[in-house]
Amino acid sequence: MATVTFDKATRIYPGTERPAVDALDLHIEDGEFLVLVGPSGCGKSTSLRMLAGLEDVNAGRILIGDRDVTDVQPKDRDIAMVFQNYALYPHMTVADNMGFALKIAGMPKAEIRTRVEDAAKILDLTEYLDRKPKALSGGQRQRVAMGRAIVRNPQVFLMDEPLSNLDAKLRVQTRSQIASLTRRLGVTTVYVTHDQTEALTMGDRIAVLKDGLLQQVGTPRDMYDTPANVFVAGFIGSPAMNLGTFPVLDGMAQVGSAKIAVPRVVIDGFKPEDKNSVTLGFRPESLDVVAVETPDSLQVEVNIVEELGSDAFVYGSLLDQTGKPSQNISSGAGDAQIIVRVDPRQVPKMGSTIHVRMRPNEEHLFRAGTGERITTV
Amino acid sequence: MAATTLDAPTQGSRVHQDTPKHDWGSPTIYFIALLLVATMLAPVVYIILGGFRTNSQITNSPAGLPAPWVFGNYLNVLKGGVFWQEVLNSTITAVATTIGVVVLGLMASYVLARYRFRGRGAMYTLFAAGLMFPMTVAITPLYLMIKSLGLINTLPGLILPQIAFALPVTIIILVPFLRAIPDEIEEAASIDGCSRLGFFFRMVVPLSVPGVVTVGILAFIGSWNSYLLPLFVLNNEATYTLPLGVQAFASQYSVDTAKVLAFTSLSMIPALVFFSLFERRIVGGLTGAVKG
Repeated sequence: MATVTFDKATRIYPGTERPAVDALDLHIEDGEFLVLVGPSGCGKSTSLRMLAGLEDVNAGRILIGDRDVTDVQPKDRDIAMVFQNYALYPHMTVADNMGFALKIAGMPKAEIRTRVEDAAKILDLTEYLDRKPKALSGGQRQRVAMGRAIVRNPQVFLMDEPLSNLDAKLRVQTRSQIASLTRRLGVTTVYVTHDQTEALTMGDRIAVLKDGLLQQVGTPRDMYDTPANVFVAGFIGSPAMNLGTFPVLDGMAQVGSAKIAVPRVVIDGFKPEDKNSVTLGFRPESLDVVAVETPDSLQVEVNIVEELGSDAFVYGSLLDQTGKPSQNISSGAGDAQIIVRVDPRQVPKMGSTIHVRMRPNEEHLFRAGTGERITTV
Repeated sequence: MAATTLDAPTQGSRVHQDTPKHDWGSPTIYFIALLLVATMLAPVVYIILGGFRTNSQITNSPAGLPAPWVFGNYLNVLKGGVFWQEVLNSTITAVATTIGVVVLGLMASYVLARYRFRGRGAMYTLFAAGLMFPMTVAITPLYLMIKSLGLINTLPGLILPQIAFALPVTIIILVPFLRAIPDEIEEAASIDGCSRLGFFFRMVVPLSVPGVVTVGILAFIGSWNSYLLPLFVLNNEATYTLPLGVQAFASQYSVDTAKVLAFTSLSMIPALVFFSLFERRIVGGLTGAVKG
């Protein structure tokens, strides 16, 4: 049984006040692929290193299976790690790199050879077994790093941004290879990345961290459809969700020039810090371009159009009642910008104004004060 | 139209650019360099050629070539036991010094470079401060210390202080070298089951070979060439090292110039051979341990 549990695990670097990881509570099932994702400095790498035993744990516990490994040496935790810079041993051949851990454990040479060759076959490395790392390309080195981890048959795989150093095309290829490989081996995997696309495509579940605190953990579908707070909403999904805080009057939110109906439960739950406003989020693909202006349609002035072949995205300014760009909205393009997905065959001209309407039930509502999601159902 | 006007200037500039910069460089610099090389080599060549002449040849024409070539001087030196005894002494001292410097220096540098403990900076400064004490300053108290240890006139009495005096340079070279080994390799090794000591022997030692070679060469040459310490410590001709031996021979056979010249040029050969074999390796250790 190789479950992984973080039980209020905390790490404070000496000399700092704010914990790098703050009472992390996370349980990972056996065989699950969990992705830790978040912006730089959010504590995801630190959490992974705490699990590996490379960082001290200042409070809380870490469990692998039922075993408390908080004070156990990395070599006794039965884990294997793939580093961002591969960390291959430069003076050893590929075969020696992959067999190093087994040699230290005292395994007979013949068995080491068999295991190394099996792993090399899975990873397509058989013809490189006698080369040194400096004679390999980035993708090959990455595969050797993975082979070094596989050969050990550990209980848990740990991966610290292994794809960051690869070029874009290789990254997409290797992404699917890693996902299918770990699925085939059935080993619990904890994967750290800052790229939310990797998180969405590879993970069974995703855990989003910010400033050392766990924001939300759930399946990719859950994270995309029901983000728990404003941060997760703006982080997951590319292009990012459009978010803005709008005043509520008479049950209607003033969004630019449009009046959008706000459910009763929102207004009932108003607290003083909300200041009678609500944070509204809507994804670029939740907006339909309408030909006729209606009271609930937004006016968008087109600044730039990004054509991606299969999709087109309009980057524009949200116009308020007087026709001036609203400062209230932010999106993946930055402040005071809104992103709308449009039909790539009917792309509006730059400088023109389009009318868009939100599809019903595809908006996300958050408390203006705390940023928490308001459940409307 | 545009093509024809472009053709003329490119052809002209091509002719101008090719000739001087092509293979030979500036002739003035070559000339100055040759002058310097000649100035440095001239005494050496004089000594070597002098060994092939008789004393009367040297007295009659000091700067002439051997005529006829006399091999007796060189043969006498090579057949006599003194030269080989001294080569053996020098070799033993230099090899022992090098081994001591390399082993102790590598271990100390590893700890100073990669372990974190209080007083690390002070310890490094202590080693670096050793550079401030050249042999000349320390020789008197050092002599008294060696005497009280009973090591006068023995080779260990030479080897131990030489190791101590070579350690500062060793540590100053090796500490940045070992620091360049990425932490990630240490972490990966620790996850793979390597203990700290295991990491030292399995990873650090193979990776630090370029640095160790540099340091070893410097220690060997420093020991081979040292004159002051052997002069104080060694009394018996049987224990003399080569530099001392040259001086003793020169004063003993001062009239027999040709023989002295033969002895001197023979004593240059081991160091020259060693240096020409290893000179390329010296630079390798002055850069980092792991690149990329």
